Amino acid sequence: MPYLVSFHLGWLIGSLLLGFAMGWISVVQRGNGTSKVTARWLAALAAALVAASFAHVVPGRFGYWLDLGLIMFACYLVGCTIGAWLRDRVVARSMPAV
Amino acid sequence: MQKLFRWASKWWPGLIPLAVMWGFAAWNNTLPVEADLSARSSAALKDTVLDKTRIAVDGRDVGLAADAFSEEGRRDAVMAVEIVPGVRLVDDRTRLVPEAKPFVWNAERDVVRVTLSGSAPLPSMKGRLTEAARKEVGGVEVADQMGLARGAPPRFEAAAMLLLDQIGKLKDGKITISDTKVNLAGMARELGGREAIAAALKNLPEGFSIAANDIKAPPYIFQAYKDPVAATVTLTGYVPDNNVHSALATSASRKFFNEKIVDNLKASIGAPSSFNTVVLAALGALSRLSTGTLVVSDREVKLSGDALYEGAANDIRAGLGKDFPKTWQYKPEITVKPAAGPVDGTVCQQLFSDLLGKGKIRFAAKRADIDPDSAGILDHLIETALRCPTTNIEVAGHTDTDGEDAFNRALSEKRAQAVIDYLVKAGLPANRFTAVGYGSTQPVAGNETDDGKAQNRRIEFLVR
Repeated sequence: MPYLVSFHLGWLIGSLLLGFAMGWISVVQRGNGTSKVTARWLAALAAALVAASFAHVVPGRFGYWLDLGLIMFACYLVGCTIGAWLRDRVVARSMPAV
Repeated sequence: MQKLFRWASKWWPGLIPLAVMWGFAAWNNTLPVEADLSARSSAALKDTVLDKTRIAVDGRDVGLAADAFSEEGRRDAVMAVEIVPGVRLVDDRTRLVPEAKPFVWNAERDVVRVTLSGSAPLPSMKGRLTEAARKEVGGVEVADQMGLARGAPPRFEAAAMLLLDQIGKLKDGKITISDTKVNLAGMARELGGREAIAAALKNLPEGFSIAANDIKAPPYIFQAYKDPVAATVTLTGYVPDNNVHSALATSASRKFFNEKIVDNLKASIGAPSSFNTVVLAALGALSRLSTGTLVVSDREVKLSGDALYEGAANDIRAGLGKDFPKTWQYKPEITVKPAAGPVDGTVCQQLFSDLLGKGKIRFAAKRADIDPDSAGILDHLIETALRCPTTNIEVAGHTDTDGEDAFNRALSEKRAQAVIDYLVKAGLPANRFTAVGYGSTQPVAGNETDDGKAQNRRIEFLVR
């Protein structure tokens, strides 16, 4: 893990920033997001991929790509969370009277 | 928390650029990651002892193929790669180097090279053995055809190193270690080499033993060449030690009255038994030849050359092996020198005086027995006498002043008679010779010194 992080630091920061931007937007975006069912399926898929990664069942380069994808995805999610939370704080402060 | 789920439901569009980034990242980094992990794995294996190591990296999975020299070494190698940061899985394709049974190692020397073959237990030892061989044989090429195998006996390296030290002492040959048995065959480079090797083998490490030592010594050669033109006798080859050397040189200078001795002999061990007796006898025979070569090689004596007259040739042929031990072989190839033309009495007298001026007929002390060392000069005197067949010759004996006059006179006459007997035995007619004993009455030098006395003790030939 530390090796993957240090070797791909640039890309992970990229993913983090992308997530941050997405999270920033998501707070004020109108419309519905993914449905609960879809979200569950996506979560299950992510869990399955994580499990596959830890179990080392995917061989060779595909295994490496899977690990890389998951770690980028994790950074993306962290970025999203931070972005959304900060935006929420900003929005809450600018509209205290509502 | 609910807020978070609400926000998160709107995060999915970012996954599209993320996927694109992921694609680029994978595209860009796969080969560098593989190269990096390959380099790190190789570095991790640097201190392990493996043969035929191959590292193949697929993503973050390392395929390790290698021949290890022990189960422990094999495990350690796999472990070393497993703990390299970034390596996900190790595909262990290592195996143990096959075990050789019996464990055989050879060092073979021929004229142009030393070939090391068979098995060595470790790559580093293979290198050390090759290096040691190179050091031992100097400029000679060393070919390393050793393979690697397990199963070497304990202390193998010490034994192999000791045997490699011996390869320099061989002209050609083969040294083999088979488990703990050592076999040697071949020819030593120098006399004494065989003995030196045998001595060194006593230091073989514990557990090793000599199964066969068939190292042969080069022939022990002694040569003498009598050259009548240069008036030299050249001695070459070996003698057992300095005592024998000086004894030989002294004896040679007595036997070869007319020639200068060129002594190129070297002392070396390895002489066959009875070497001294045989060489002295053979040198005596050579001294009777006008020109000739004596070669003593191990236990074989070859004498070739020209005798001065027919009788001498027969005598030498018959007499050569007489004093040799039974284990010796001898080969006389004696021809007769073409007889010189007849001369008159005056010339004959001149020739006799010349011969007896250069050398002396020697006798045992106070006796009339001719010393065998005088055979050479006697042959020359006989040859000369044969050239003037019509002359009569007085053989005169002289002594120094030591002892009583009557005894000296009798002794000198007996000695003169002994010489005549020798000549008659060689085929000259007895009626040509008269023996006269002068005792000490006709000195040619003062009798005060040993040197003068020695000059006065003499035989003279006078043509009448």
